[in-house]
Amino acid sequence: MRDIKMEDYDMLVKINDERDIVVARQMVKDFAKRMGFSLADITKISTAVSELARNIFRYAGSGFIYIRENTGEEKEIEIAAVDKGPGIENVEAAVEAGFTTSKGSLGLGLSGVRRLMDSFFIESEVNRGTVVIVTKRRRTF
Amino acid sequence: MKDRVVTTIKLYNYLIVPVQIELDDSTVEAMQRQILSEIEEKAIEGVIIDVSLIDILDSYISYSLSETAIMAKMMGCDTVICGMQPHVALTLAQMGVNMRGIIFAQDLEDALSKLVKAREHS
Ligand SMILES: Nc1ncnc2c1ncn2[C@@H]1O[C@H](COP(=O)(O)OP(=O)(O)OP(=O)(O)O)[C@@H](O)[C@H]1O
Ligand SMILES: [Mg+2]
Repeated sequence: MRDIKMEDYDMLVKINDERDIVVARQMVKDFAKRMGFSLADITKISTAVSELARNIFRYAGSGFIYIRENTGEEKEIEIAAVDKGPGIENVEAAVEAGFTTSKGSLGLGLSGVRRLMDSFFIESEVNRGTVVIVTKRRRTF
Repeated sequence: MKDRVVTTIKLYNYLIVPVQIELDDSTVEAMQRQILSEIEEKAIEGVIIDVSLIDILDSYISYSLSETAIMAKMMGCDTVICGMQPHVALTLAQMGVNMRGIIFAQDLEDALSKLVKAREHS
């Protein structure tokens, strides 16, 4: 499993209870705003974090959301959602739209995150946990 | 009534719900319970949920709102969501979220006229 180190990131939100989902989306929203993302992109990024934080809370109980700014030719935001929960048995199925193991859910979390962001990486191991890393470039026009 | 999480306004037989709080999962569930019990207590025929202050709606919150609308419908009540911010609508559309059972309107006025029309057709 990919090793995520705190010192490589600018910000960390611990997901421990339901209210942390709100905290995580507010924090990433401010972070993306400061990076100069458009309002539409800020909304997409915060919504993606809301989905990832909820998955951590719902399926793993607890975990972390890491946020950083990548500077290169284009600025981008990178978000890593990491937990040491039960893992996902069939990752390919889980990222399909409509797949869910929850009652009362649309199963649009992971597939939605993939559509909202520019890059999407997922790694999961049963009984070891899940890592989801997503990025979005700041478009300037 | 205990468990009230949102302020509501009754107008004729309509219940107006301006959502002015951050929606987390338990709040959205409490709001659903509150709306359904107010429909019953106050003989409500239409619910208007004003989401103009909401800047993030994710898949679970959308699902809960849609579920509320479907339950309300079973109680003989239509549900309109009004004032959705354009970037929120864009995000939900891109995620492929389809909010079944809900009528959408631009603002309160539009919501009221859509409710009146829905009543006429049923
Ligand atoms: N961090 C995680 N740990 C373990 N299982 C996970 C994790 N994230 C997702 N899953 C599994 O992948 C499935 C799909 O997740 P996804 O977020 O796409 O949909 P959902 O959570 O079921 O529904 P929604 O997000 O629409 O409310 C989940 O039902 C769950 O079984
Ligand atoms: Mg999910």
